[in-house]
Amino acid sequence: MAINSISLMTPTQLTNDTNKLSNPATPYEAGQKFASFLNDAIKSVNDQQIQSDALTEKLINGQDVDLHEVMIASQKASITLNATMEVRNKVIDAYQEIMRMSI
Amino acid sequence: MSIFKSMNITSSALTSQRLRMDVISSNIANVDTTRAKLVDGQWEPYRRKTVTLSANEGSFSNFLNKARGKNEVGDGVKVSKINDDKDTPFKLVYDPTHPDANEEGYVEMPNVDLLKEMVDLISATRSYEANITVFNANKSMLTKALEIGK
Repeated sequence: MAINSISLMTPTQLTNDTNKLSNPATPYEAGQKFASFLNDAIKSVNDQQIQSDALTEKLINGQDVDLHEVMIASQKASITLNATMEVRNKVIDAYQEIMRMSI
Repeated sequence: MSIFKSMNITSSALTSQRLRMDVISSNIANVDTTRAKLVDGQWEPYRRKTVTLSANEGSFSNFLNKARGKNEVGDGVKVSKINDDKDTPFKLVYDPTHPDANEEGYVEMPNVDLLKEMVDLISATRSYEANITVFNANKSMLTKALEIGK
């Protein structure tokens, strides 16, 4: 497969990139953005866990819920939790990399 | 959420196979039922039930994208109807002592064929298993995706 050179970038890509550079976020803004992103992600993971719990409880109480739905909900919760763990590990790695920097 | 789309599709398939199983259970349970429905003061035997499945095109966005000429994956499968089998005739059994026997001593028995039900039973079980296999393949695909960059 041919490797495209950088000059093949479309003009829109180039202007977008320069816009990003000329308009940087303040450290505070970046921190806030990161915090809200992390918050949203964790909230959605928590939602999956809550849904799985609710379905399990329904099943135990003998309400009208299919066994496979409970299993699928628990698998979804497990996958989202694993994805969160991966992101967390990456974030902590990045943090430690920066803290190891010799000044 | 789109990463769980195929899981939701599998879930709909599993639900409909469970319903097929329920219907087959009902058919086999009622294999000797002579009094299922009262029609004009006369008891009618149980009628065999079958399930009709249809593709679930569901949401508005699906219809919109279809109208725009884009082909969309639907939302799986749904049960469109539980039908009564009106084509197979009731079986006539000679049993004059039966309370539901007619003047000639024949009793109308349900049109359930145990052999057919057994075949349907195996078919439903196998379909369920096939969908579980799809689910597991899908899960291992997602788990593999989490290993990117490790």
